[in-house]
Amino acid sequence: MIETFNIGFRNIGKRYGSNLVLDSTSIDISSHNCIVITGKNGAGKTTLLRIIAGLEKPDSGVILLDDAEAEPWRKQRKRLLKSVMYLHQQPYMLSGSLRRNIEYAARLNPALADRAASVAKAIHWAGLDGLETQSAASLSGGQKQRVALTRARLRDPQILLLDEPTANLDNESRARTLQMLREFCDSGTAIVIVSHDPEVFDELATHKLQLQDHRIHAETGSSSDVIELKSVRHSRQR
Amino acid sequence: MDILLASCAEAFRLLFSGDPDTWEIIAISFRVSSLAILCAVPPALVIAFSLAYGNFFGRRLLILLFNTFLSVPAVVIGLTLFIVLSRQGPLGDFKLLFTQTAMGLGQFLLCLPILVCMVHVALQAADRAAWETARTLGASRVRAFFTVLYEIRFGLMAALLAGYGRIISEVGASMMLGGNIAHYTRNIPTAIALETSKGAFAEGIALGIVLLFLALMVNALLQYVQGKGSINP
Repeated sequence: MIETFNIGFRNIGKRYGSNLVLDSTSIDISSHNCIVITGKNGAGKTTLLRIIAGLEKPDSGVILLDDAEAEPWRKQRKRLLKSVMYLHQQPYMLSGSLRRNIEYAARLNPALADRAASVAKAIHWAGLDGLETQSAASLSGGQKQRVALTRARLRDPQILLLDEPTANLDNESRARTLQMLREFCDSGTAIVIVSHDPEVFDELATHKLQLQDHRIHAETGSSSDVIELKSVRHSRQR
Repeated sequence: MDILLASCAEAFRLLFSGDPDTWEIIAISFRVSSLAILCAVPPALVIAFSLAYGNFFGRRLLILLFNTFLSVPAVVIGLTLFIVLSRQGPLGDFKLLFTQTAMGLGQFLLCLPILVCMVHVALQAADRAAWETARTLGASRVRAFFTVLYEIRFGLMAALLAGYGRIISEVGASMMLGGNIAHYTRNIPTAIALETSKGAFAEGIALGIVLLFLALMVNALLQYVQGKGSINP
């Protein structure tokens, strides 16, 4: 179970050359949150996720980790990389077998007492039994998504970021992915999902936000700069 | 034609009779070039990685410079180092000129741009998500670095083989920096040049055959590695 936490991203700005992507965008993420962000192509959704993950440096803004004082980006990135995990739209599979991919994640988590047992358990959790020796590159899109989520489970992050996790998945794979995400939420992991199809996550979402005009708005159309997440309409029934 | 055939026959006799002089030259070549490439690999990997994933001032200029260094003749590297290592040069006090170390330095500078450029291209062709996935899974920078290197291992191998092929066969820098001293700095290419100038074609061809055989081995290895790396072998 993840300890309660709160990470605030305030007035985040980002531009690529002359192209403004994010302008004073703010978002708070707490344990058990499941935030779904929608927006047009090029609205900056993926950039926002990458900033939250510590993979991209914002041009401006403040990041408050557990309400602590703002720190230099180098320190913040280190902490973000420790506590946040980002799953690409097309999950990257390391060369080699499915088992190698899972074991790689297990080896990076020193908290795992019995690594071999944890790997076996995680593979079973994802329903990937029997595919251990198969080349990860040859897996289907749904299976790759499950491998990525299995690696995330072994990583045990505070925040899990997903970029279009159900895109191009059939109904069965989609349902399985949602079930896995629900288990993450139940364990206290905060989930931030970027999707063009937010209805898919209706059951899961505690907050739905829209990225528009380079800023985050509540889906209801509020234009306030800082969204108080508690006030957003969806509240997951527990 | 008769001379060529006779020279080839003599070449094989020299090789397979274990002629000590011939094998000493071969050993010097392998020792110097192997050490040179071993020393060049770590900095080349770091530079290539910085160029591919870094975002710093002068990055594009560095890429341009390394690409330009690919076409610098070996003799120019040799001449530059000769000036630097000669008695009046800034490193003259180290008395490195006409030593195997000087030859190694020249070969190091020759293969560094090849390694940097080829690894850089391999990294750019690879999915950046490999690095990000490793980092976001909690890998340290060093761990993620080695993870990405493993992902591009076929490109890396090709770079190593190309670099090795370049320095084992170069003559200009070795001649200027090593001085072609018998039993000390005489390697395969400088020995071929010397034997040819003396009219001892058999020895020259014998050493040429060694180089050709080496090139064959290098290319066969490259082909094997690339075959292994392809999705549909």
